[in-house]
Amino acid sequence: MITVFRREWMAYFRTPVGYVFIGVFTALSGVIFYLSNLSTLSGELLIFLSQLTLLVMLLTPVLTMRLLCEERQRRTDQLLLTSPVSLTRIVLGKYLAAAAVMGVAIGLTNVCTLILALYGTVYPGEWFVGYLGFTLQSMGFLALDLLVSGFMKNQVPAAIAAFAANFLLWMVDLLADKVSVAWMSDALRFLSLYDRYEPFILGQLSFASLLFFLLLIGMCLLATVRVMDARRFSQGGAA
Amino acid sequence: MIEVQGVSKRYGSVQALRDVTLRAPEGKVLGLLGQNGAGKTTLLNIITGYLAPTSGRVLINGRDPLLEPEPAKRELGYLPEHPPLYDEMTVEEYLRFVAALKQVKAGSIPGHVREIMGKTGLTEMRERLLGHLSKGYRQRAGFAQALCGDPDVLVLDEPTVGLDPKQITEIRALIQKLSAGKTILFSSHMLGEVRQLCDHVVILHRGAVRLDAPIGELGGRDGVTLLCTLQGGERRLVAAMNHLDGVRSVAVQPGGGEDEVRLRLSFGHAATPEKQVFTLCSALNAPILRMTRGEDDLEQVFLQAISE
Repeated sequence: MITVFRREWMAYFRTPVGYVFIGVFTALSGVIFYLSNLSTLSGELLIFLSQLTLLVMLLTPVLTMRLLCEERQRRTDQLLLTSPVSLTRIVLGKYLAAAAVMGVAIGLTNVCTLILALYGTVYPGEWFVGYLGFTLQSMGFLALDLLVSGFMKNQVPAAIAAFAANFLLWMVDLLADKVSVAWMSDALRFLSLYDRYEPFILGQLSFASLLFFLLLIGMCLLATVRVMDARRFSQGGAA
Repeated sequence: MIEVQGVSKRYGSVQALRDVTLRAPEGKVLGLLGQNGAGKTTLLNIITGYLAPTSGRVLINGRDPLLEPEPAKRELGYLPEHPPLYDEMTVEEYLRFVAALKQVKAGSIPGHVREIMGKTGLTEMRERLLGHLSKGYRQRAGFAQALCGDPDVLVLDEPTVGLDPKQITEIRALIQKLSAGKTILFSSHMLGEVRQLCDHVVILHRGAVRLDAPIGELGGRDGVTLLCTLQGGERRLVAAMNHLDGVRSVAVQPGGGEDEVRLRLSFGHAATPEKQVFTLCSALNAPILRMTRGEDDLEQVFLQAISE
């Protein structure tokens, strides 16, 4: 797992992907910080973090689209899948590398927190709960996007499908309002990432939401392993 | 040792492999011959655990790569048709990564990688990015990754395809050097390569095994070809040769000199055909100017196997 993690981490920064992701994420979060806090003279850290969700939804597919699709395109998956490393470790290594790059980008948004702290007040509890929720939500999107990329053969369709999946899970609570069947409406609302993230942006440490995000990450990673395993039985190869 | 037991593979409506059974004994080189599309790559992908068979099973030193993936794959080095290289890594970084994947102890990795680079002639290229290597060096890097972890079993898929003659010679020499003490299974559609490198040949056609035999037995197993240059009347000689014991065909070959006849005699079994030809020509007073065993027995065997 550590071997795969190291390679993926290195690959992010040997290619422009890592730099572009962190650069664009940081620049756009700066713009959001200006619009949500500086221009309105608001000292609310949690408002800033809630606005960052759209950015995460939009950009996480860039991190995950190459992880599985590129291996298939370059046929380097033949090396990984014929090595004495379990699929679980391969998927975990790749996921953790993407999560680490995301972690660096999230970490850099603390420059904004620092500015708020310098010119206003940022309570440690508020900071902890806000960043915990934001990090969990981002990691949830990454796991979901990794699963989506596991179904795809090419990177661009993988990124588009991942964004669609992110958007759908984020907006599913709006669909729930339109569904008249009670159990279906409840089920859709249960899946809504917006509803799950809401307690954190209100400054509440919700263990139900925390558990939901951890389960979402675990289930998506497990499903990714199953998808890769199933492909051994179904995929065609050159004769 | 590699054992393939009744392996079949179906992709939708396409039957890629049909009940394939073969065995590559320890320390031997097994050549897998077949035309393009015969199912060679599919079979190798199943042997290495990259694909799962629809039915049947594979054992690598007694372990099934699907049921016991980690111990089975630890014994295995695989060079696919397209070497699985990460272009953004240097040769040395890549081999260190593969060595770690193959669970070589961290402390031993630098020495192990140095040794492999030495064996495969990559030492001078160790700082180069894989994406900047020529096709020949990329193939060497592919070989080098297959050797990481010092596996007992090597599976090589058309290792010389697309290389220039010099590179082909180098890669073949490398396989010969590696063959000592390892079980090697390699696929090819180049008969000369198989003849040069293999102890045993399996011919695959339309997903089924058509022939499975030690290379030394191929001539005796499927007959003997004699190429004779004789003096005498063509018709008389051809008619007489057709009555030899075990003769399957007599064909006149072009290129004979004045008053010379070049014949290609194919015998169905190995009952000392040279002696028969000598005795007959002596009786016919037809001098034998040259007589050699055919160098193309394997070609004949191959063509016959895939035409049946």
